Amino acid sequence: MTRVTRFEDRVMPHLDAAYNLARWLTRNDDDAQDVVQEAFVRAFRFFDSLRDANARAWVLAIVRNAAYSWMEKNRPAEIVPIEDAGLIDADQESIGHAAPAESNPEVILLQSANRKLVNQSLEELPVALREVLVMRELEDLSYKEIAQIADIPIGTVMSRLSRGRAMLRAAIETRMRKAG
Amino acid sequence: MTLRTPTPEEPFIARDATYHKAPPQLRARVQGAVAREGRSRIVHLGQRTLAWGLAFATVAAVSWNLGAMRGRDAAQDIVTHDVLAAHMRAVMATGRLVDVPSTDRHDVKPWFAGRVDFSPPVPDLTARGFILVGGRLDVVDGRTVAAVAYRYRLHIVNVFERPAREGEQAPQLTSRQGYNIVHWSRDGIERWAISDLAAGELATIAE
Repeated sequence: MTRVTRFEDRVMPHLDAAYNLARWLTRNDDDAQDVVQEAFVRAFRFFDSLRDANARAWVLAIVRNAAYSWMEKNRPAEIVPIEDAGLIDADQESIGHAAPAESNPEVILLQSANRKLVNQSLEELPVALREVLVMRELEDLSYKEIAQIADIPIGTVMSRLSRGRAMLRAAIETRMRKAG
Repeated sequence: MTLRTPTPEEPFIARDATYHKAPPQLRARVQGAVAREGRSRIVHLGQRTLAWGLAFATVAAVSWNLGAMRGRDAAQDIVTHDVLAAHMRAVMATGRLVDVPSTDRHDVKPWFAGRVDFSPPVPDLTARGFILVGGRLDVVDGRTVAAVAYRYRLHIVNVFERPAREGEQAPQLTSRQGYNIVHWSRDGIERWAISDLAAGELATIAE
């Protein structure tokens, strides 16, 4: 098997995940495509360093890097450092993943929030919170994988997820109130 | 600061936010780019083989005259020279010291992913008096290496790292033009630390 076919086998299946992350980071289709192309060429160049590791997490770390380089160059104002709180209780976080209480009025309110509203609110979150939410909620990556990709401790992943969810909910509620 | 307690209904985002699938033309674009890279790699490998062949012939000729050990010393000399030149360039040029300025290793370490073909450990050496300044790429011995800069009191220390080619090597001190250099290999990474810091103090970085 040639290097190119091995790359197609192991890395290309993660193109959707790569584009989704790049698209949510750059918030723009053209730029996301450029970032993904650049990241995949880099990934191919450094393909030997993948070895037996998790290919999806590995390539997403490269995509994230490429996206951040792109943002540093084109939108430096968006990379605001996030003040991370200390570790939060893992049990507390696990509550966030309990079965949704469908009868809760707030849930019904949020479930009726349309896609546009959620998309806009998520796009406006600080990038450090947005990326963990996208990786966790849309990509269904484990805390460990997210920690690896963003190179932050697992406790930080949890606290950012928690803050990201709280901010997102607040943003959606504000938008809904404005819309009447 | 206080965190808002997560509540059970929160995982609604997955349902409501858009999952952006890669557009079909992107797949074609990426496949094309990877295939081009694959072809240029083969050319590169060919060139590299040729270059190595020439280098080998040169070294063989030199060794024939000077003895094999001196050829090896000469190679090590070139590397030391590169380390010195890279350090001097970095210290002289304002704004050239680091491309990712941060005292947090969690900012510096991931910056290298996809830029070099290994993962530089970027250790936290604060306890020993070395304060992280940041990282950048540099060239030593014709190869891209990870350069990590630290500050020790008022001295700048540059640490150049690449995957080790030989086994473990105990720290060795040399000096060039008033700079001290420590060279060592451990855990698969070969390193050079260079600074105008006193040799004894610099050597503590390799402990």
